[in-house]
Amino acid sequence: MKKGVALLLTLLATALVAASAQGGRQTAAAAGSINCSSTLKIGFVTPLTGGAGFLGTEQMTWAQYAVKTLAPALGLKVVIVPGDTPVEQGPAPAQALAQKFVADKSVVAILGPSTSGAVAASSQTYLQAGLVHVSPSATRTSLTQGQTKEATAAFLRVVPGDYIQGPTDAKYMINTLHVKKVVILDFQEPYSVGLADAVEATLKAGGVATTRLSAPNTTTDYSAYVTKVPSDADIVFFPTQKPPDAQTFAQQLLEQGKKAKVFGGDGSNDASTFKAAGSYVSNFAPDITGIAADKAIIAGWKKDNPGKSVGSFGPPSYGAVQVLLNAIKLACVADHGVLKDRHDVLRKVKQVVIKNWILGGTFKFSTKTNDPLNAKFYIFQIQSNGTYKLVG
Amino acid sequence: MTDPTPHSPDDVPADGPAVGRDEWVARHDERRLARGRLLGPLEERLRRVPWWAWLVLFIALLALVPAVSGSGYVRRVAFDTVLYMLLALGLNVVVGWGGLLDLGYVAFYGFGAYAYAVLDSDKFGVHLPTLVAIPVVVALGAILGLLLGLPSRRLTGDYLAIVTLFFLQLFQTVMTNGDKAFGHNLTGGPNGILRVDPFHAFGHSLVVQHQGVFAVSYYYVAIAIFAVVFVALWLVNRSRTGRAWRSLREDPLAAEAMGMPVSWLKLMSFSFGAAVAALTGTAFAALNASVFPLTFYFTLLIIVYTMVILGGSGSQPGVVLGALIVSPVLEMLREPAKGRILFYVVLVGGALVAFRVSRRLGVIVAATVAFGFAAHAIANAVDHSWVAGEHAGGVSGALAHWVVVPAQLARWLTPVSYVGLIGMALVLTLVYGRLRVALLVPTLYLAAFVWENVMLTNPEPARYIILGLLLIVLMILRPNGLLGERRVEII
Amino acid sequence: MDTFIQLTVDALTLGSVYALIALGYTLVYGVLKLLNFAHGDVFMVGSFIGFGVLQLLGGSAHPVVPVWALIVLVTLAAMAGCAALGVVIERFAYRPLRNAPRIAPLISALGVSFFLANSMQLLFGATPRSYDTFTLSNGALYLTGIDIGNVRVPLLRIITVCVAFVLMVFLWFLVNKTRMGKAMRATSFDQEAATMMGVDIDRVIVFTFVLGSALAGAAGVMFALRVPTQVSIGFVAGLKGFTAAVIGGIGSIPGAMAGGLLLGFAESYAQGYISTKWSDLIVFSILIAFMIFRPQGLLGRADIRKV
Repeated sequence: MKKGVALLLTLLATALVAASAQGGRQTAAAAGSINCSSTLKIGFVTPLTGGAGFLGTEQMTWAQYAVKTLAPALGLKVVIVPGDTPVEQGPAPAQALAQKFVADKSVVAILGPSTSGAVAASSQTYLQAGLVHVSPSATRTSLTQGQTKEATAAFLRVVPGDYIQGPTDAKYMINTLHVKKVVILDFQEPYSVGLADAVEATLKAGGVATTRLSAPNTTTDYSAYVTKVPSDADIVFFPTQKPPDAQTFAQQLLEQGKKAKVFGGDGSNDASTFKAAGSYVSNFAPDITGIAADKAIIAGWKKDNPGKSVGSFGPPSYGAVQVLLNAIKLACVADHGVLKDRHDVLRKVKQVVIKNWILGGTFKFSTKTNDPLNAKFYIFQIQSNGTYKLVG
Repeated sequence: MTDPTPHSPDDVPADGPAVGRDEWVARHDERRLARGRLLGPLEERLRRVPWWAWLVLFIALLALVPAVSGSGYVRRVAFDTVLYMLLALGLNVVVGWGGLLDLGYVAFYGFGAYAYAVLDSDKFGVHLPTLVAIPVVVALGAILGLLLGLPSRRLTGDYLAIVTLFFLQLFQTVMTNGDKAFGHNLTGGPNGILRVDPFHAFGHSLVVQHQGVFAVSYYYVAIAIFAVVFVALWLVNRSRTGRAWRSLREDPLAAEAMGMPVSWLKLMSFSFGAAVAALTGTAFAALNASVFPLTFYFTLLIIVYTMVILGGSGSQPGVVLGALIVSPVLEMLREPAKGRILFYVVLVGGALVAFRVSRRLGVIVAATVAFGFAAHAIANAVDHSWVAGEHAGGVSGALAHWVVVPAQLARWLTPVSYVGLIGMALVLTLVYGRLRVALLVPTLYLAAFVWENVMLTNPEPARYIILGLLLIVLMILRPNGLLGERRVEII
Repeated sequence: MDTFIQLTVDALTLGSVYALIALGYTLVYGVLKLLNFAHGDVFMVGSFIGFGVLQLLGGSAHPVVPVWALIVLVTLAAMAGCAALGVVIERFAYRPLRNAPRIAPLISALGVSFFLANSMQLLFGATPRSYDTFTLSNGALYLTGIDIGNVRVPLLRIITVCVAFVLMVFLWFLVNKTRMGKAMRATSFDQEAATMMGVDIDRVIVFTFVLGSALAGAAGVMFALRVPTQVSIGFVAGLKGFTAAVIGGIGSIPGAMAGGLLLGFAESYAQGYISTKWSDLIVFSILIAFMIFRPQGLLGRADIRKV
């Protein structure tokens, strides 16, 4: 009986695997040329659940809006296929998704991966398959800079890397805030460690006394860290990706009577939760609600997403989709309506120029790196009513 | 007077039951043969097939997967499944045979991966040949298992569980902070170790992917490793050590009283499990060409445990089957379209198993279908936007008219319907008879509603919720899993 | 000196929360000899129940009742909600396994823990939720307080420690001075003998879970008043609660309190004086040392197993 059950279940399991394989086989059969008038797919690799799930869900709303409004204007039918890479699971989901998108021939471009770790894990696969991947938020310096670049030539990003954010923040602190002592915190995960390292290096070069603290990623109660902040420290650099933690830290600084102010990175940019007066935040875009050309876009987005506020992670996704759609359009025009291969989109992407870019100004890729040309970071100070004021 | 002791197990003495013999057990073969004219002899025939023939057949089936599908994704999932099978086999040694609740198991997996990465990558410039690196890692893994076992000798079930869980947490902490250990970057920290060498031997390197598509060679290597490990563990199980483990599992106190070296046996089982996990880790690291600390954490642990418990702890074919079922199912649940199919298959299958083919089943199915169509029609009549929502992943036909999917799901509806479903399911376990059947119908419909609206839109937590539920239900209803043996604890 | 006082204040606050969680573990272990892995997640659910009730009562910006009443209401709601959750978990996940081999309820507990954490993620998402007590009290709870030397101990921390203390005293009273408490102690000594003495084991166990989970709920609110809560805190809180219960001596109520405070001190001083990064490691080492050299903890009884 047991063997019979085992046999039956093995057959069932094989059938299940075969059923899921069916999907793979059918799309692999449609290899070769891609007709531009058919529905094209853009794969979106981002954390939709898990600790960083807020990042992906926000980016998704903007990406969908971009496809909805921009694709018809370019004469394209495009659909976004999401893929979830929860940060807790490391690189494995990113690699599995890479395989999935490579196998699906109607996927012509990838939006993302949104997390630097996922980029490092899957860029090789995308390069070999000729899939361009443009990320709206993977800012790790070592992806495109340094001796050993973790990402490949098929990877581009529409926001500047941490190698710009770190020195920008540090220089602001030295030149405008005239700091003497700074405490730098990191959270033992790639984003904060990279940013903290960059800030520390620039501050040290500028002659500022720095203390470095490191908190496990699961820390919720920062009381002991607040205690370790010297009473004469001017700034605590707090590159968290959870804005409520920045708010709590600022409150605890007040509670313990420390005069230091919190300085957050682009991950702490959230006016609804981080609003401690006197704190600073750096971001790769000015507040887009202040850009006149974006008013229509914001209004349209708000209609589709009632009750949600414009965050800082969403608009770059809109921009990245715009870049991809333009690249696809350029490739389709050059190939007279029938793409020979996905490589064609990859070849055209660096030629994309967008005027009235959602984050302000004109968008162009740098010729030397795959990062945006002349990208800069903006510094905000939080006012007493909780609003963000551009100060640098 | 006839000699009451029978000469062969099939002898039934003329004057009734004999001393020292269990009638029920002795008549087992008769009952099996009598079970059905076709099934009985078939089973008898199957039972005589040697175990290695089954293994060969299984491996042949596995090897055919790349022939069935050219998709790199499918091959990748198949590879992951084989790795899970290996992990399940290793955990089976510790939990199933040794009876030790080792909650730090995936730390050995991570250790194997990191050790291979350190020995075979640009990190320290060490590039050992694969045929040297793998045995070294396996040996190190076994030693680590031994070291973990040492403080655990005196600990009983619950305490052992905590200590091993802490070991997992410790591993995670050390690997994440290893980039600043006394000024040396040992483990790459949260960024992990990149550019790990692929497997190479005799001058050839096993390339991981061709033009982005996952290469088949790694899959075959994994199957080969699986075959070797399976056979090795089977033979160990058949040996004295295996028997000693079984007795240790059943009753440690009695085993000790019988003079078995209980401490040594515990250490051995930890060691074996750790070695298998470390071996699997090398394949993982080589394939992914990178290691990150976060992979080897609690979630992975629960997944492997579910495979072992589902398959039947203590049974090697069982845990392999468990892995074979859970891994593709988890992967399928990532996508709404496939998840939907799975849900309805399980629903119908579950009903079949619970009620067999009977009138009651027919009543329930008919009632649920009718209830659904009625609810959909009523909702449509009240307000069209209540049914105008898009089904995640797309659906058409009758199903679209059966399940209510509102266009804008009210925010309170998600927690209320979810908690309501759980409540109703719990109530169902408390009532019996007609009331149970009557309540089952709306519960099934509510389940479909919750699945479509809540769980398919959030596939990640939904997958894990199902795993957690599966663990609970399995332990209550069928702790021996699919192929495990039912154990009786003697007080 | 100021640092020391500040760290001690931190330690007391942390330790109170850990003690409340550890008490839940100890109570259940004493009666059922089961380590309830799901307890940390019950703590997490408590903090979310508190958050939900807070939103219902107007949120941190516009509360409809005064701050004191709000905190009391939120705590009571969390305690009640968690008690109900604890009863449900016991009835459906542990009771059927009461006569099963020891490994079965442990695995079931793992499943419950996983299920709870992911269900909360399904329902509430992964974003951290803050009670925003600062806005709620217009900074009063953070900035006013007692001064010890140069250090100001804010009201909020005093409230946390006091509530924990009151609850522990209440528990001590319940366990030592009431009939039900006596029944609990009898069951934890010897379940069979207690049954023969006429104690209704089922009721005692339910009562134990109610108590333990209510304490976890209160701990959740006390925790979330000061720091934002997330669905992932259950696992780590569970580990810390275990550690505290085991260090203090599992099965012993004063032991759990002592263990919780000790753990709070260890963690706070380790973070403050040694290193923030390796403070987890130091705490684990203390636990391992205890388990090897003194498995019955500080105040527990040495376990003599009857054959």
